[in-house]
Amino acid sequence: MAKRVLVVDDANFMRTIVKDTLAPNGFEICGEATNGAEAVTKYAELKPDLVTMDITMKVKDGLEAAREILAADPNARIVMVTALGQEKMLLDSIALGVRDFVVKPFTKERILSAVEKALH
Amino acid sequence: MVKINAKHVNPFVEAAMRVVTQIAGIEVRRGHLSYKERVEPSFGVSIIIGIYGFLTGQIVYSMDGQLAERLVDKMLEGKSPQEKKIMFLDCLGEVANMITGNATSLLNQRRDQILNITTPAIASGTNLNVHLVPKPALVLGLITQYGPIEISIAVEEKETLQEVGGSDDGLLSET
Repeated sequence: MAKRVLVVDDANFMRTIVKDTLAPNGFEICGEATNGAEAVTKYAELKPDLVTMDITMKVKDGLEAAREILAADPNARIVMVTALGQEKMLLDSIALGVRDFVVKPFTKERILSAVEKALH
Repeated sequence: MVKINAKHVNPFVEAAMRVVTQIAGIEVRRGHLSYKERVEPSFGVSIIIGIYGFLTGQIVYSMDGQLAERLVDKMLEGKSPQEKKIMFLDCLGEVANMITGNATSLLNQRRDQILNITTPAIASGTNLNVHLVPKPALVLGLITQYGPIEISIAVEEKETLQEVGGSDDGLLSET
């Protein structure tokens, strides 16, 4: 059965790139969210196998959303996909329980490998 | 004292070259660096991103409509004209977001601090009047085969307070 992925990014362009990379490789895109608050709500509704999460978003940022999702479901698998690649941000994310951290711009191979690794 | 610093420029050059080449396959070369008393975008499409942390201010990207269309065209190769139209501003915002995000990683080599950025605001069209924070800026020109990209870097180093070593009177000094 295809693994179900929730794609969270405020940019339609980035959601499209992530979907276009994952869908042909056997993943089902079960939902999309454009900010952290929507991501928390959709995670509870859809119970995806994995979330790809941007950080810089209006309403609620991706780190706060990841914190809330992981508080509700410590087994949640979240991969941060962000333009911000600072060391402290990466370390904070990993400490939070995030599985991987992909810095934009990314290659298709990089995001596929991060998602596959996070699901194992 | 508030000052802008040329050392903040190179990370943006490096990030812009890396990002534009990787996502659009367009080669970028470094152009002139100049100083302006306040940010005034030179071209029809402007993307504004705020930066805050130990640096605060704005980064303004400006390019003409033709280059913007080329960039979006390359970034969305294989998509329909309708999809390209829908995602036009979104793509440009993401380019600026990626350049700024990558530049902050190069600017911030510290393990204990985070330099944050805001979501991009985009202005596109003719006879636009963009209101920006009136701060001096270093203006960096980048050259591509489809036209120039102008990056105005209007950031200040935030003054920090540090305890004076060995002082027992609790005084703080500004650095």
